[in-house]
This record gives sequence, C-alpha cells and structure tokens, in this order.
Amino acid sequence: MSENDIALMGHLMRRAGFGATREELEARAAKGYEATVEELLNPEEASVDYLDLQRYHGWTWKPGTVQGMGAAEWMHSLINSKRPLEEKMTLFWHQVFATGVSKVDHYDELNDQIILFREKGMGNYKKLLLAMAQDPAMLYWLDNNENHKDAVNENWGRELLELFSMGVGNYTEVDVRECSRAFTGWTITPKLARFPMGRFDWFFEYRDEDHDDTEKTFLGETGNFDGEDIIDIVCRQPATAEFIARHLYNFFVADEPQVPAWAVTPPNDQDAIELLADTLLESDYDIRATLRVLFNSDFFKNARFARLKSPTEVVVGTLRLVGGAEFPAPGLGDLSRQPCYMGQDLLNPPSVEGWHTGAEWINSGSLMRRVNFTADLVGDTQRPGIQDMIRRLKERGATTPEQLVDGCLDLLGPLEVADESRKELVGFVSESGDVAWDTGENIAAATGRVGELLQLIVSLREYQYA
Amino acid sequence: MLTRTVAGRTFDYSHAVGGRYIGQPCSLAVGSGNTVYVLLRGGENISDVPWNRTGTGSRVARLSIPETAGDEEFIGEAGSYGDGDGEYIWPTGLALDSQENVYITDEWMNRITITDKEGKFICSWGATGTGDGEFDGPAGITVDADDNLYIVDSRNHRVQKTTKDGKFLAKWGSLGSDTGEFDSPWGICVDSEGNVYVADHKNDRVQKFTPDGEYLGTFGSSGTGRGEVTRPTDVVVDSDGDVYICDWANDRVQAYTPDGEFITTFIGDAQQLALWHQMTVDANTDVIKARRRVSTLEPEWRLAMPRAVAFDEAKSRLMVADTQRGRIQIYNKLKDYLEPQFNL
Repeated sequence: MSENDIALMGHLMRRAGFGATREELEARAAKGYEATVEELLNPEEASVDYLDLQRYHGWTWKPGTVQGMGAAEWMHSLINSKRPLEEKMTLFWHQVFATGVSKVDHYDELNDQIILFREKGMGNYKKLLLAMAQDPAMLYWLDNNENHKDAVNENWGRELLELFSMGVGNYTEVDVRECSRAFTGWTITPKLARFPMGRFDWFFEYRDEDHDDTEKTFLGETGNFDGEDIIDIVCRQPATAEFIARHLYNFFVADEPQVPAWAVTPPNDQDAIELLADTLLESDYDIRATLRVLFNSDFFKNARFARLKSPTEVVVGTLRLVGGAEFPAPGLGDLSRQPCYMGQDLLNPPSVEGWHTGAEWINSGSLMRRVNFTADLVGDTQRPGIQDMIRRLKERGATTPEQLVDGCLDLLGPLEVADESRKELVGFVSESGDVAWDTGENIAAATGRVGELLQLIVSLREYQYA
Repeated sequence: MLTRTVAGRTFDYSHAVGGRYIGQPCSLAVGSGNTVYVLLRGGENISDVPWNRTGTGSRVARLSIPETAGDEEFIGEAGSYGDGDGEYIWPTGLALDSQENVYITDEWMNRITITDKEGKFICSWGATGTGDGEFDGPAGITVDADDNLYIVDSRNHRVQKTTKDGKFLAKWGSLGSDTGEFDSPWGICVDSEGNVYVADHKNDRVQKFTPDGEYLGTFGSSGTGRGEVTRPTDVVVDSDGDVYICDWANDRVQAYTPDGEFITTFIGDAQQLALWHQMTVDANTDVIKARRRVSTLEPEWRLAMPRAVAFDEAKSRLMVADTQRGRIQIYNKLKDYLEPQFNL
C-alpha cells in the first residue's frame, strides 16, 4: 500500500465522512478505493443504537428549546455512526433544507427531520423533496400551515424554487404564486400543547377543503396541479439538477461562492457540475448514483484540502480522531453545543438559506474556539486515538524533531502543510532536542512532547482544511 | 378502559400524580404510611462548565400519595447533580431497608449512596472495576428481608449481593443470552419468598432466580406483541406472585402470572390530569384554548418510556414511573370487585 493510497483514503474519509483513524484508513486502503466508495454508499454496519442513548441520556427525548442542547442525539450519531457517509448526508441536507429551532421551537421535530435525512438522504431526491413538503417542522418553518385556498402564503412555494430546487433566475413571480397555490391545504394537524407534560408529535395533514384545485400555469405547463405535480415539474428542469449538483460540489469537493451568488457567479468547475447534473437527470435523481460518480471522479480526487471544514466537521472529525467518546458519557449536551460556539448551531441555522460556508466560517472568535477545542482534545494523551499515534511513532522509531513532525503530520491526516509551517514545527520540537522511547521516564516525556506538537499542528491554518 | 377483569384479577385505574416536583422519575419505592420515594434522573442543560456541573434535577423526592386523587402532597427532596457527597451524576436505582434508609445507585460514579429517610447523607461506597464488590454501571437495587442488597452491575452484566455496608457476599451472571446470562441488565426486585427477578434489558426478558442465583424461569420474550417486551427496565412482584415488567421501549407495563402466563398490558390511562398538571393548565389561558382545538387528548393519557414500577402492598396498587411525562400513574388491584350489570 503506497503513501498515496493512504493520503487518498484520508481525503475520501474526510469528505465522505468525518475522517478516520489510521487503522481504519489502512483497512480501507487495503480493500481499495472503489470498494470503499461502494461500502460508504451501501453501508452494512448497524446504525447507532438509539435506545442505548436514551438509557443514559433520557433528557434527550423531545428536549426543551431553552437549553440549546437539542442536537445531542444527532451529535451522538455523528461521532459514533459506523455509516459515515449516511451521517454526512444528514449534515448536507440539513444545510440545504435549513430548518431552525429558533422558530419551530421543537427540537424533537427537527430531530425527526434528521432521521428522515438519514433514511432518505442517499435515495431519490424527488422523494426527499416530497417528504420535506410534508414534514411538519418544514411546514411550520415556512408557514405552509398558513397557506390557504382563499389566502395564499408564498413562503414555502418561494423557497422550494429559490433554495431547494432551481435557484434564483429560473422562474417568475407568477410561478411562485402558482406553485404556492398547488400546496394549499398541505398543513399540520393541531397538536397537543407542550404544557403541562412535555412535547407531543406533529403530523402532516392534507385538507381537501382548503386546497385550491383549480387550473394553474407553472413553468409553462397548465393543469389542476397539486404539490406532487409541482415537484415533478420542478425536477424535469435542468436548473434543478444543476442546483443540486452545485450543492454537492460545494459540500464534498471545493468551496463555491455563497448560494445567493450562484445566479450571477459561474461555478469554479463547470464541467464537474455538468457531469453531476447529467447524472442526476439520467438516474432520475438518484443521489447514491450521483455520489458514486462524484467520489470516483478526478476532480474530487484532486481536491485535497480545497475546502474549509465546517464547525461540525472540526468537532466531529477531531473527536473521531482522538476517540473516547463512544460511550455517551456525561457532557454530551456540552459536546452538542461546540459547533455552535464556532458558528454552526446545529438544528438552528441562521436562516432558511443555511450557513455561509468556506472562508465565512472563520472570524477571530470562531477560530479561537476551533483551536482551543481541538488543542484540548489532541493534548489529552490518554485518549485512545492519541495513544495509538504514540504507539506508531514509537514503532517507527521517530526520535528526531524532523521524524516526529513528519510522523505526526502523517498520522493526523496525512496532513499537507506549507514548508514554512513544517520548519516552524521542527524548530519548536528542536528546542528540546530528540526524544527517546527506551525507559518509562523517557516515554512519558516523549508522550508529553508529542501531545504539545499535536496541539501546535491542529492550531495551524492547514488543519482547518479538509 | 379504566377497569379490566382478566384471569381472575381486576385492575382499576386510580389516578396520576405529578406535573411538579418529579421530573424524569427513574425509580420508585414505597415507604411507610403514604410516603413514596421517587428517584429523579435529571438531565444536562448547562454547557461550558466542568463536566460535573453540566446537569440539574438529580435528587430524591418524597411525596405523600394517599388513595384519593388530589390529596397528594410534596414532603421534601434531597440531593443534587454532582460528584460530591449526597450528589448524583446518573442516579438509577433506589431501595429502602427495614429502617427506611434510602440506597441510591449512581451508574456513572459507580457507587451506592445511603441517606436516612429525610435525605440526610449517611455514606457512600463502591469502586469502579470488575472485581468482587466493584461496579461498572450499578443500576437496579433491592433489599431482601435480611437487609442485604442485590445490585445489578449492568455493564459487568451480573448481579452482586452485598451487605448493606457494601461487603461482598455473592455474584452471578455474565454477558450472554443463555439462561443465567445477562445483557446490560437494569431493574431488580425480590418476591415474598426471597426469589430475585432481574430485568435483562438487552435480552428483552426478565429472569427469576433463587436467592443464591440459581435460575428458575423467564418472563417475556422479545417483541411488541402480547406478553412480549422490548428493553425492559424494571420488574416488581406483588404478594400474589404476579409479575409486572416495565416494558420501556414499548411504552407500557406487562403483567404475568407467577407461572409466566401473560395477563394484561397497562398503557397509561390518565384521562384526568394530575393535580399539579391541572394547576399548570389553569394558570395559562392559551394552553386551555390549545387543548380545545385538538381532536383528542388521548396521547396525554399514555405512558411515555416508563422506567420503573413499584407495588404498594398496603394499598394493593401498582405504581408506574411515567418518566417522560414527569408523573406516576397508579392502578389499584381490587380484591372485592363486583361487576356492574352487563346490559346497563
């Protein structure tokens, strides 16, 4: 197995998952790249045991809003799922169909949305779109429960076209109106109040008497359309395939401009977007088939470290790297808040547009949070993932500053850093000279110094890229 | 239905108690008089603080629960979230000895805390490990007639018997699904003959043993149907030998004869709000209106992931900790029930 095989597998796992330990990378590289892609697309490992989490953290059952810890259940899966791409896709769709507790005020409904993304996220986009049109949290978030036959509310209809399918510039204001009319009567059954005994589920309800069943003209087609017809028509538009393709590219390949700029700024790689869009159309919007093309493409393989990690990728990726969070120990709620402190409040995006990505993740406060969080974790040399790195460094006989720096960079990714950064790292380690792995005292000293070196490496600009 | 007569027994729904004071009830014990001890699990709600300060609500509450709905009273509470004396991180099981001292397991701290009946801290003991008298996740706890303790050592997949001071006496069980083996067991109780019943959580069954740990039988099997259970959390046996299993993941309690024949299911019947629940509603006109726009209030009646059961022999009633709804639902086991005229 070549170094490049490991580096490529590290790249795949950072993008199609949240990184992987060296042991996992080696096992996957031995199986081969394409076989790994297939396994990620069709995972055989069991899902995370939800009831195990409930046993120890019963408070995560329909949690309250004020505490802001409603993403704890999801965080447990993000850290522990053995189906990494399935879990990564929940984050992808949460970014696309951005729905927030700031308005919905029921974390349980948002968690149900995440479960839906987990179940349908690699299936057919059309079916997912229909499921979202009937999702209680989405219906409330975009006011479709206020969309009546005699008083149309255009919020859902507009966002469906603007942010969930075609993108700005591909439809008219009349289309928005006609689209919204087709979704009248798609609403929520009045639900039990949260007082006095906690939350109860919401349910989709279709009210025939509140549905506008008259003729509509939408994107040049005329008929007595309802919501399902609209979704069919929307999905026949090449613009929809291109829009979803660009989202996939932005999330998995390389940072694109922010979504509102897409109507006026061409993609960084038009050929890649076309390939993905064609695959979507030819496969009738099979997301799994499209991801297969994406991960096996050269444009993907050549895009190492071309994306800034989102806060969730930083938190989850580092936790998976260092290990020790498999059992849902006390503090899970606090872990679920960490991406928020870096600018990504899971289940509570700033608006229906989702988060601005790429360089916009970074400001002085969020960068400090990233560095502190990751440095604390990698500096904890008792963590199983760090112990494994130390064992490997010892086995490799890494004793000089250069060997330690190269070894740590390798085991952290492999991570590619600028020559200048590497020089700084070597300089830091050189201040205390070589390490030795012979006596208990020397091993303890070497372990401490590796911990310090790892802390320095995760503080580098390069660690913020995936 | 509120009343059911089945297999020669009549169970009659009594009332619910809660809506205040008992959030996340996870274990119950019946004391003297009308006193009921309720262990409260608490939950996490504070971030950016040290790990042992991230939660609130972990404590023991004492209620007076007479027979009549509306007569319940809050007596007192003790304990808080934390790892100090008299504090709990993950309180799980609670039991009373003959002096009504209170024994509380903490499945994160791996220790047993003992308080007096008013909650005053007496001592705690226990250590982490797999050796005799050591624990990895002490969960259910019960006291036998000699004031010895049976403690479910859940992540070690075994039961340990100790004196009330924590001196090791015996143990049985290991990870597996054969008879006498356990997978992550949880609740435990003893019957009037001293036999021991263990909620074998991930094996979806309850196993019965002699006081020395010799296997006697099994109640329930995996599933959602009649007589089946999914991830049972607790078990209690009444003086007739009837066995009640807290069927947590199926949101219900299953009842069996002493021979393991299925009797009936309790799914929760709180058609009337508990006293303190009603007070919350009465104080909020918007809630009153919201309750009138729904087609049914039925989801409110039902149990939601109940964690514990207890049987109050003095009053012949089954108490169910309706954990996610913050209340206790009570069913009377009637001894002198007369059927009303059938064709009324």
